[in-house]
Amino acid sequence: MAEEKLLTVNVVTPDGSVYDEKTPMAVFKTTVGELGILPEHIPLLASLEIDEVRVKVPGTEDKFDEIAVNGGFVEFSNNIATVVANSAERKENIDLARAERARKRAQERLEKARQEQNIDKQRRAEISLRRALNRLNISKH
Amino acid sequence: MGASLQEVKRRISSTKKTEQITGAMQMVSTAKLSQIQRHATGYQAYAEKIRSVITHLAKSHLLDSGVASSSAASNHADGDQINGLEMLVKRPVKTTGIIVVTSDRGLVGSYNSNVIKQTLDLITNGNHSTDDIVIIAIGGTGADFFKKRGFNVAYEYRGVSDIPKFRETHELVKRIITMYSEEIYDELYVCYNHFVNSMTSEFRAEPMLPISAMNIGSEGLGEESASGFTAEYEMEPSEDAILEVVLPQYAESLIYGSILDAKTAEHASSSTAMKSATDNAKDIISSLELQYNRARQSAITTEITEITGAQAALD
Repeated sequence: MAEEKLLTVNVVTPDGSVYDEKTPMAVFKTTVGELGILPEHIPLLASLEIDEVRVKVPGTEDKFDEIAVNGGFVEFSNNIATVVANSAERKENIDLARAERARKRAQERLEKARQEQNIDKQRRAEISLRRALNRLNISKH
Repeated sequence: MGASLQEVKRRISSTKKTEQITGAMQMVSTAKLSQIQRHATGYQAYAEKIRSVITHLAKSHLLDSGVASSSAASNHADGDQINGLEMLVKRPVKTTGIIVVTSDRGLVGSYNSNVIKQTLDLITNGNHSTDDIVIIAIGGTGADFFKKRGFNVAYEYRGVSDIPKFRETHELVKRIITMYSEEIYDELYVCYNHFVNSMTSEFRAEPMLPISAMNIGSEGLGEESASGFTAEYEMEPSEDAILEVVLPQYAESLIYGSILDAKTAEHASSSTAMKSATDNAKDIISSLELQYNRARQSAITTEITEITGAQAALD
C-alpha cells in the first residue's frame, strides 16, 4: 500500500497548544457548514462554530480524535491546519462535572435574562450554554 | 554593657528571621517566574498565528480603509454586539483610554512606581487632563493611585492570579472591548512593564485600539513574504466574516498578552527585590555579629581588668 498522505492538525489556545497530531483527514464545523480537509488542500481560512473538530487517527478506518472548540477559526497552509480558538479541550480532558455546572449556570442566566428581556445578556447566556452543551455532547458520545 | 549585648543579640535574631522570610519569598517568586515563562511560550505560538493571519487579512483593509469604514458602518446598524471591523476604524479622539497594569501587592521593588510614573509622564506629555482620560486599572496599586489623583477609573480589576489563565481574564477583556465600541474611549493604550530578563524590565505603552498598521507593525507586513504567508487563501464564508471573528480575538489576545507579560515582569521584579533584601539582611547580620563580638570581647576585657585590679589591691 502506498504511504498514506498526512496533514498536521494543531490546536492552539492562549493557554498553550492543546492538540498536535498528524492525520489523513480532519473535519471542521464552520459557520457555513461542515468542512473536511484532506492533505494538500489549498490554503484556506474559515471561521468555526462552537462545535467539535474531528481528526481521523492514522491507520484506522473510522476512529476519530474529538476536540471541543470554542469558536475561533482554522487556517490551513503548507499542509498544516491550525485551529486558533479562545479555548479548546480534547474529549478525554473534558471535566464532565464542570461542564454540567456550567450548563446549569448558563441556563439560569438565560432564564433570568429572558425575564428581564435583556437581549444582550440573553445572547451571552446562550453562547455560554452552547459552549457547555458542546462539551457535554462531545464527552458523551 | 550587658543590656546592649542583649539588644544586639535580639536584633541579630530578628534580622535572621526577616532574612528567612525574604529568602523564601525569593524562591517562591523564582518558581512562579519559571512557571509563567513556560506558560508564556504556549501563548506565544497562539499570538504569532493570530498575528500572521491578521496581517494577511488586514492588509487589504488597512490599505483601503474607506472600504472598512463603510462596511463597518452598515454592520453597526444591525446590532450592538462587538463588531470586529469597527476596530479598524479611526475615530476622532475625544477621550483616551489607558490600561495600567500594576500589581496587587507590594514587595516588588520599583515595579509599580515605574509603571505609574511613566504613565503619568505619558499623560502630561500628551497634553491630556483628567477629563479626557479614562483609566482601566488592572491591579490594586494602580487603581488606588489613579483614584486618589481624581482620574476617571472606569474599571478596576484586582486579583489577577499568579499564572493568569485566559479564561479568567476573558470577562475583563470583553468588558474593555465593549467599552471601546460604546465609545467610552476612542483610542486605547496599554501601559505595562515588559519583561526583558529576570533582572530588567522596561516600560511599554502600546497603542491597542483601533487596530492599525502601526500596532500590527509595519515590520509585520514585511515579514509576511518571508514566512510564507503570501499564498492566497480560500475564504469560508467571506473575508469580512472572518475578519469579524479574528479581529476581536486579536484584540483579546493582545490585552491578555500584555497582562501575561506584566505578570512575568512582576514575578521577576519581586524575585530581584527579595534577593536584594536577603543580601541586605546578610550584610546587616554580619555587621551586627561583628558588633556583638566586639561588645562581648570588651566585656571580658573589663572583667579581667577588674579581677586583676582586685587581686592587686588584695596583695
